[in-house]
Amino acid sequence: MAVQVHVTSVIQRVVGGQRTISADGATVIELIDDIEARYPGFRETLVGEDGKLHRFVNIYLNDEDVRFLNGGDTELSEGDEVSILPALAGG
Amino acid sequence: MSEGDAPELVTIPRSLVDEMVAHAREDLPNEACGIVHAKDGAPVTVHRVTNVAASPYRFEMHGMEQIRLEQARDENGETLFAIYHSHVASRAYPSQTDVRMAFFPPGEVDQEPAYPGTLYILVSLAEEPPPVHAYHILEGGVIEEQPIEIV
Repeated sequence: MAVQVHVTSVIQRVVGGQRTISADGATVIELIDDIEARYPGFRETLVGEDGKLHRFVNIYLNDEDVRFLNGGDTELSEGDEVSILPALAGG
Repeated sequence: MSEGDAPELVTIPRSLVDEMVAHAREDLPNEACGIVHAKDGAPVTVHRVTNVAASPYRFEMHGMEQIRLEQARDENGETLFAIYHSHVASRAYPSQTDVRMAFFPPGEVDQEPAYPGTLYILVSLAEEPPPVHAYHILEGGVIEEQPIEIV
């Protein structure tokens, strides 16, 4: 199913400078793999070898942080909006 | 700006600086953080962002609030001018963590920073009146102060 994916900052650089891309997947991780097929390096930007999201990557499904849903296994529906951004943080 | 040039003075309205300082005070004991928008290159508005780290030593902006602000900038023809945060007990100078986190992945400083061209504004509550300074964090993790004029 088609999902709109909004990316910011450094993550835009991985997808050729686009801010919004359309992708397919039944779950967040499938969506990431679909984008990876077109933009190699996308997955490793977001996900560790253990399959978990990097600590300083935030992914929202509509307005919900997927960490509070089902992480990479969070299921997607047609027309969902996914936002991916690096944490803006410091000390 | 190329090496050797004198940095140009950047003007920031006093009302915006006052708002950042007020936010810093209100969020004590924790660090406060937010974003300054520009119109035609000049800073126009301060937007508070929730510090989800809720810590005196760290900040992490609420991601959805960041996205909403980005959408607002697009709708209003505005741009990202600065990222601000407070230091509750240390000086208004980027910490090692601030520099690490200015890059993605964190600490990978040998590339463009995550927000190139965006100023980092630091508000220190370690002294009165609170010092406010602005910096560029550049490739290599280099910190360069941006002189500001508060008018």
